[in-house]
Amino acid sequence: MIHHLIRAAILTGFAMFILYLDRTGEMSLYIAPRMELYVKLSALGLYAAAVYQIYAALQKRMGRQTPDCDCGHEPSRSILKNTLIYGLFIFPLLLGFLVPTGTLGSALAAKKGVSLTGSAAIERPALPEETGANPDPAAPPADAPPPEDSLDSLFPSDEYTEDHAAYGKQLVREPVISVPEKQFIETLTTLDLFREAFIGKEVELTGFVYREDDMGEGRFAVSRFAMNCCSADAMPYGLMIEWPKAIDYANDEWVTVKGKLVASTYLENEIIMLEATKLERVEAPESPYVYPDLEFGM
Amino acid sequence: MLKLLFRFGTPSLAVGCLIMLGLIVKNRDWPSHLFTPANLQSFKILFISIILEAFPFILLGVLFSALLQVFVTDELIRKFTPKNPVAGVLFGALLGIAFPLCECGMIPVVRRLIRKGMPAYIGIVYLLAGPIVNPIVYTSTFTAFRTTPEMAYSRMGLAFAVSVVIGLLLYAFMKKSPLKAAPAFHVLPHRGHGHNHDHDHDHGSLGKGFRGRVASVLSHASDEFFDMGKYLIFGALLTAIIQTVIERSALESFADQPLLAYLFMMAFAFILSICSTSDAFIASSLSGMFDFGPLLAFLVFGPMIDLKNTLMLLSTFRVKFVLALIALTAVLTFIGAWLTEVLL
Repeated sequence: MIHHLIRAAILTGFAMFILYLDRTGEMSLYIAPRMELYVKLSALGLYAAAVYQIYAALQKRMGRQTPDCDCGHEPSRSILKNTLIYGLFIFPLLLGFLVPTGTLGSALAAKKGVSLTGSAAIERPALPEETGANPDPAAPPADAPPPEDSLDSLFPSDEYTEDHAAYGKQLVREPVISVPEKQFIETLTTLDLFREAFIGKEVELTGFVYREDDMGEGRFAVSRFAMNCCSADAMPYGLMIEWPKAIDYANDEWVTVKGKLVASTYLENEIIMLEATKLERVEAPESPYVYPDLEFGM
Repeated sequence: MLKLLFRFGTPSLAVGCLIMLGLIVKNRDWPSHLFTPANLQSFKILFISIILEAFPFILLGVLFSALLQVFVTDELIRKFTPKNPVAGVLFGALLGIAFPLCECGMIPVVRRLIRKGMPAYIGIVYLLAGPIVNPIVYTSTFTAFRTTPEMAYSRMGLAFAVSVVIGLLLYAFMKKSPLKAAPAFHVLPHRGHGHNHDHDHDHGSLGKGFRGRVASVLSHASDEFFDMGKYLIFGALLTAIIQTVIERSALESFADQPLLAYLFMMAFAFILSICSTSDAFIASSLSGMFDFGPLLAFLVFGPMIDLKNTLMLLSTFRVKFVLALIALTAVLTFIGAWLTEVLL
């Protein structure tokens, strides 16, 4: 009987924990929005199982038989072993309820390695041979958006980068390109893919401060974690920025930066970088993560 | 050997857990750089997120397994399973298309199927192929590797090939049941099936009415939840610690050596233990660094065998069998991924 009661308590604990995460909005720290519904449904399942365990305990108490099977999942007879097994279940609950929740930050980003060039899965299409018809890279189309016909030569694309090219043509017309939360990775990837077209444009984005030793004092990356299902698969993406007083900003502080896009190098890789013109501290956004836009280009 | 492993294995796992708990309490003043509050936060978030993400799938798995147990007779399962071994193996490899389950939910279901009379080699093929060869994983791989659609095709193809080969090998060489023996003191008298099958159930005291069956489903499901849950939680614990402590860049030196890249990506998939629906996105984020072949090895090996599900496999199958299965899967995936890379 005691086993049924302990199990009921643990199951209720997990159901309550999911409810608690949902109510406090902390759920989004752990799970991507598209998974949240399933997790909430599983709370219902856990709750139903807990109710059953109490029912079974009562049945036992009244001396009645409960369905018994020999599937090998009867609790062990050793008290020590049982304590340890139930401890294993209680551990995440204690951790979840008692330890204050933060967010993933630069400590983990350093472990996972921040991508400074958008999604690595999209490769730069082979650029067509430089001809006189192509715009001179020294005179970037920073101010006036170029006429329609020259756009195609600025956004050379193959079948795989078509969507990004189309998105890029749309972006390049905007006076200030602000990197949205919804298409964070896609926008960074587009900026990097067609960097020739975007060099000199003004770009704005929000993220947390992440730095590596090699970046030096004047630079850091403004980064976000991109999550697919749960935070175990979150990968950090960022954009390098240069700001004379970058050293004043501590790791993990949230900033909004606005600046001019330039080409630069970091650890022998060509990257895009913002020469910041404006940098301000902001409140951490409601969801610290960004999510890949699965409908992008569809 | 098996008894020994479990006698000392489980308690020592849990002791590790309690040590962690102790560390968390003391953690604030811990001087070592590994136990910074930032790392604790990362650990907590990763640990709980893996558990939360797996809950719906594991619940679905144990529910499905309990429903199978209570409502589907052994005869029905035997009737639906092809008698011919080759047809049976192909059936197992394609079962995931009709019943897409991810690896967390898979183990209780396969165990149930085998106990209910499905030949073990077919069950194992479903266990290996099911988490990959299904529409959900195909879509997510295709989305993640938009620019190289060959990845989605090769992933399906290689997973299918590896599981079929393993199925045929098992059919030829496996003599004993791979399941751990059920405890003898629970064996109940038969109700005359005429076959020697010692997992029969006696739900007589609750009657065979609908209410009795529902209670029986809940009983199976919640017991099995605890059965699988302890391995899931321990696997999540290890995965979270490893992800928090080990730097990816420290491992990246492997990326350049062609042979090591394959082994590294397979080890990486093993350690990460992420769900097969989301691992394609991780792989695509690594595609700048690794070639096609190692990424394919990552995508095929990970859902079949990883840290979390090895622990769950050990709860169900004999230790020797699990080790042989891991070795076989690793070797075949390695060869297959390498061949694909060379041929494409």
